[in-house]
Amino acid sequence: MSKNKFTRSLAGVAMIATVGAGLLVAAPAKATAPAVTINIWTFGDVIEPAMLRAYKVIHPEVTIALKKADLDPSMTNLTTSCSAYVQSHHLGSPPDIAAVEVSYSGYWRAYPQCFTDMRTLSTSAANANAQSLVPSSSNIASGLSANDIKNNYLAWRWAQGTGYNDSVIGIPTDVGGLEVAYRTDLFKKAGLPTDRAKVSALWPTWDKFIAVGKQYMTKVSAADKKKGVGFIDNVGTIYAASMNQGTYKYYNNNGTDAGQLVYKVQGNAPVYDPKTKAQKIDPKTKKPMFKKDWVLNPNITKAWDYTIKADNAGIGTRIGQYTSDWNVGMTKGTFATILAPAWMMDYIKGQAPTTSGKWNIASLPGGGGNQGGTQLTIPKWAAHPQEAWDFINWYLAPQQQLTVFKTYGLFPSTKVIYNDPALTGFKDPFFTNAPVGSIYLTGIQKLQPIFEGKLERAIDQAIGAGLGRVAAKKQTSLQSQIQVMIDLDKATK
Amino acid sequence: MADIATKGRSRPKAAPSPWKQKKRKPSKGGSGVPSLNGKWAYLFIAPFVIMFLIFGLLPVLYSTNLAFYQYDPLSLSQTWVGWDNFKFVLADETFWISLGNTFEIWALSTFPQMLMAIGFAAILRSRFLRGKTFWRTILLVPNITSVIAVAIIFGQLFGRDYGMINNVIGFFGFPHIDFVENSFASHVAVAVMITWRWVGYNSLIFLASMLAIPDELYESASLDGAGAWKQFTNVTLPGLKNTITFVLIVGTIGGLQVYAEPLTLAGTQDGGSSHQLSTLTMYLYNETFINMKYGYGAAIGILITIIVLIISAINFLVTRRVASEDKR
Repeated sequence: MSKNKFTRSLAGVAMIATVGAGLLVAAPAKATAPAVTINIWTFGDVIEPAMLRAYKVIHPEVTIALKKADLDPSMTNLTTSCSAYVQSHHLGSPPDIAAVEVSYSGYWRAYPQCFTDMRTLSTSAANANAQSLVPSSSNIASGLSANDIKNNYLAWRWAQGTGYNDSVIGIPTDVGGLEVAYRTDLFKKAGLPTDRAKVSALWPTWDKFIAVGKQYMTKVSAADKKKGVGFIDNVGTIYAASMNQGTYKYYNNNGTDAGQLVYKVQGNAPVYDPKTKAQKIDPKTKKPMFKKDWVLNPNITKAWDYTIKADNAGIGTRIGQYTSDWNVGMTKGTFATILAPAWMMDYIKGQAPTTSGKWNIASLPGGGGNQGGTQLTIPKWAAHPQEAWDFINWYLAPQQQLTVFKTYGLFPSTKVIYNDPALTGFKDPFFTNAPVGSIYLTGIQKLQPIFEGKLERAIDQAIGAGLGRVAAKKQTSLQSQIQVMIDLDKATK
Repeated sequence: MADIATKGRSRPKAAPSPWKQKKRKPSKGGSGVPSLNGKWAYLFIAPFVIMFLIFGLLPVLYSTNLAFYQYDPLSLSQTWVGWDNFKFVLADETFWISLGNTFEIWALSTFPQMLMAIGFAAILRSRFLRGKTFWRTILLVPNITSVIAVAIIFGQLFGRDYGMINNVIGFFGFPHIDFVENSFASHVAVAVMITWRWVGYNSLIFLASMLAIPDELYESASLDGAGAWKQFTNVTLPGLKNTITFVLIVGTIGGLQVYAEPLTLAGTQDGGSSHQLSTLTMYLYNETFINMKYGYGAAIGILITIIVLIISAINFLVTRRVASEDKR
């Protein structure tokens, strides 16, 4: 009896095992690839959660793990990781995809050895096969390399992800663009026009913009002024906006690794006291002394002067962007304008939901504008370059960029959809039904490509600190410029 | 000391050599495992020593070497530059600003804190205080709070426009103080954070030391007609001498490493527009990892080490003097 039972159960086990084995053999033929985790190192909102959910639907086997840090630390992490790879070829826990912001693009372009050349990659059939699951997402054919998708993107955005040896190290995500977001209710109160065409006509230049700010401030009560109310959230943002309207910033493209530094040019430089940085006065003529020496390039001084002029005019609150005061001020109406890249629209919506319908978007003074933008790269030591490449191709395809724009406001870098009515006709009720698609598109098309060099970020920060010193009245504008020159010489040495 | 420790046990008077213990029979008293006193000790300290060699000494040697190069970790290019890195650091204004900031923050946080800690300890020792355990526990709470959380909360308290402290200042009709841009005010803000975090901990150390002062001293002092203040200055303070030295040394070590508080307050790695919040450690990090100058950063590290060595030497001399005074 007991023996009988034993044999029967044994037979049962054997049967289950056989069936199980059969299933195991049958499975790969029917279902898809084995489970894979793609590690993405990123910052801010480069990778949008809704898109990840959509990707999970078409690729249930792929798990995407985001590791978010602040911008500068995320770049430090990547440096450390690449350094470990370059020195010892140890993989550690590598990212499969790393997001590189445009201000660091010059730095990373100088190190193509850290990245997989995307010309050598080729999309698998995974996306094409999954197409039937979500017909609305764009069809990614198999066998695509970076060269095959190049023409989808804005040429200058594409160039920011191209290494000096012509290798493609990053695919552009969005274009920042830059326009002026303004509060119609506050403009009305100050007796200014509220219609976006009329508002845009108020400030064709930065000088006019500052003048409008002054006019606005005359209508602000003394009590409100004491509370820190201003026209623009932070005048420091004018610097970057004006800088990007030039044809060059701190570097010229001379075809070398780092670019040629042009932050200084020969000119009439002030003679200064090394300790106080104050300009020396000629004891005889009682006039400030100058000598022939290096001065900051005219583009920098132009943008600098606009910023200082706006600061002196007292049109800015001194709230720093992305601080708690900034978020509060957005709701409270502490400031009436923000220089807003397209991606900032979603931030405003999130932080000041009660101001819905009170905002509108006018064009940027002085021409087109841009701020920000990111490339997705695949480090050379990535564990799953194939899956990462498939993901990037899907995520940054025109169709997905359009969805991201409609949902989160990030402006597409794919020029092939710039004529799409879904983009040009897109209106945002939060911004008084402004046709944000066509507004940002117009600004972006006015832009001239600017060459970003290796130490762009460090130079920007040194100049930002210099403007901060003037705003805090620690140094005069001239003293601060002298200090900036010393700092830049040090930073670029 | 050895005499006292072995008294009453059948041990030879001379301090036992750990290497000869095997030959001796275990003592009748059963004073633990004799061999534990000996070479086994090396096994037990081995984890620390090995860790120290890998994570302490090796990096020091490596960065000492690095300090003489211009080094790019990504392209692996190493250019010999001799003493140039050191020369540039010493010529760099930011280095001297950071050094000054570090010492100013150290002084602002250490001395008021010590006075407060002794005061708190005196209150805690008081006979009349109720719920002693409760107060002692409360004092330690700031110390177990995360530095970043402390810095963020204090950063909001010190906010220029809407911060609570400036609201109070504004209420009394004074102009708002910019606790980030104003150099001295920003150091005060950082010192307040450090003091808030460490004053309770130091109070307990002082309290322990105060409780060790024998009551007889106080009794005889009061018999001699000394009031509470006289007792404090003539009995309590001399009794705290060693503890004060200890707290000072620990505070100095901490003071030279201040990083998270000023960084969070400044919001930028360079310590603000005129580096007013940059400390030595922040300066080191900024130059090395933000400006990507690794050789330069290594040179800064070595200079910091030299500064620490000088301060340690001063500490050592002071401690020795205090100790020798005790023997007298």
